[in-house]
Amino acid sequence: MSRVASGVAVLVLASRAVLAQQVNVTIGPQFALGSYREVASGLRYQGTGFGGAASARYRRLFAEAEVVRLSLDPATGSSATSGFTATEVSAWVAYDVATYASVEAGFIRRTADPEFDAQSVGAVRVGARSFYEIGPGATVLFRANYLAAPKFSGGGHAAFSVDLGLGLDVRLAGRLHGTAGYTFQRINRKTNPGGTGEIDAPIQETVARVGLAVGF
Amino acid sequence: MTRHLYGFALLVGLAVPAAGGAQAVQNATLRQAQQAYDNLEYRQVLSLARAALRERLTGPERARAYELLGFTYGAMDSILKAVDAFKQVVLIDPERQLDPNRISPKAYSAFDVALRQVLLVRQLRVDSTSFVGGRGAVPIRFTVTQPARVVTRAIGTAGGSYVIDSGAWNGQVNLSWPARLPGGDPVPAGAYTVVVEARLGQNTSSASQQIRVSHGNVDTLPSLTSLPGYQYLPETEVPPQSWRPLGLAFLYTGGALVGTLGLENSSLGSSSKRELAVVGGAALVTGFVMTLRKPAPRPAAANILYNRLLRDQIARRNQDIAKENVARRQQVQLTLVPLPKQGGAGPR
Repeated sequence: MSRVASGVAVLVLASRAVLAQQVNVTIGPQFALGSYREVASGLRYQGTGFGGAASARYRRLFAEAEVVRLSLDPATGSSATSGFTATEVSAWVAYDVATYASVEAGFIRRTADPEFDAQSVGAVRVGARSFYEIGPGATVLFRANYLAAPKFSGGGHAAFSVDLGLGLDVRLAGRLHGTAGYTFQRINRKTNPGGTGEIDAPIQETVARVGLAVGF
Repeated sequence: MTRHLYGFALLVGLAVPAAGGAQAVQNATLRQAQQAYDNLEYRQVLSLARAALRERLTGPERARAYELLGFTYGAMDSILKAVDAFKQVVLIDPERQLDPNRISPKAYSAFDVALRQVLLVRQLRVDSTSFVGGRGAVPIRFTVTQPARVVTRAIGTAGGSYVIDSGAWNGQVNLSWPARLPGGDPVPAGAYTVVVEARLGQNTSSASQQIRVSHGNVDTLPSLTSLPGYQYLPETEVPPQSWRPLGLAFLYTGGALVGTLGLENSSLGSSSKRELAVVGGAALVTGFVMTLRKPAPRPAAANILYNRLLRDQIARRNQDIAKENVARRQQVQLTLVPLPKQGGAGPR
């Protein structure tokens, strides 16, 4: 109980400090749809899940973090026999270089459970985003990230890995925002199982997230 | 017929001034003279007026007696005698003025000649005025009937005499008195007598007018809150409604779609588009709604700049006003009012 009270107190104090510093913060839960493919067209999964997103803006600096947990099951016609749970954490720090554009860097970390049912991956994100306020309190964004130095739980490497994103944030009423995000990720993974030579083991994922957020 | 007209005109011309002066007459002989003049009995006027002058008369009665003589001599074409009589009139009453519209030309010309033969200072006028000390002057006007050395002074009742002007003048004279001491300070408040003295050889004449000088604070200027003719402009403006929000939603969604299609790995087959459909659809719906909604006001850069310039200008003006007010609080507002004359002045 004392921990909860302490947490609430810290949150209140932090929110006051945030307001005093004129930092715009949003945080809220999201519902997610996901599609995952790996190695060959026959190995494909689809599923849903939940997650959350938080963002903060201070002048030209913008930070964003997302967590999503997807339960992926073999799609119709898939050669996979069982599903898995993917937990993906992404974070960005962006800096506005123009009125409608910013450069950003961050990381992505996706883990699979059971561990060997899919590749876990971690990479550094480097890219840019464009955002535009299309109406009062409504902002769309498009993001393109290069995933640098990816690491895979099953080994291998990827010379070309990209992550595209489409985002939407609409202020519905007062502090309540509606959020939506789309992510397309392609990783050209190559692996050399048993030293027999490199083979392609690409990974492709799309995730859609829709949710609400509270701004303060 | 012509004689009748001339007689009628003369009657009208002479009767009006005679009637005007008869009201103040107390002396019986002078009243008879006035009556005789009204009856055009000029011989009788001459004898009665002369007889009245030998009696004890007040100043106005004496002037009236000489005036009757002047008018009568004028009517009898004895111009030199008329001039002499009018000389006596103006010597007794220097401010005496005849109306050329109501007096016969002969009488008026005789009066005019008489004026120019006597040294007189007349029609001294000091106008009411108010000004900041050092930034204005008191207008003083008078008439000198002959070329003369004229000295104009302001003599304070509490002491102090200030020479306003000294010079040779003739005719109408207009002077300006700054009402300042030699050091630049305004003259002390109080009552003053403006005395004009004219000297020509042994002849002198003077006239005076009392005035009151009072000191007051100079009005300060109020600060400006706006400039006349310039108004603040709204710093936001509502842009015209357009399809831009929907177009931008299409652009961003299209970018994601093209990127997805272009980057799909062929060996993995076509990816699911339901995720993009959900988010892209939401973006397009939002864009459409925003297209229909009234656009949000946006800052009007030109108006903001204009308002800033206006504020700067007003602030600059107010700084000037503040400086001006500091100076004004150290200044004195002089107000001069002529006082009613208590006694006439005349030749000495």
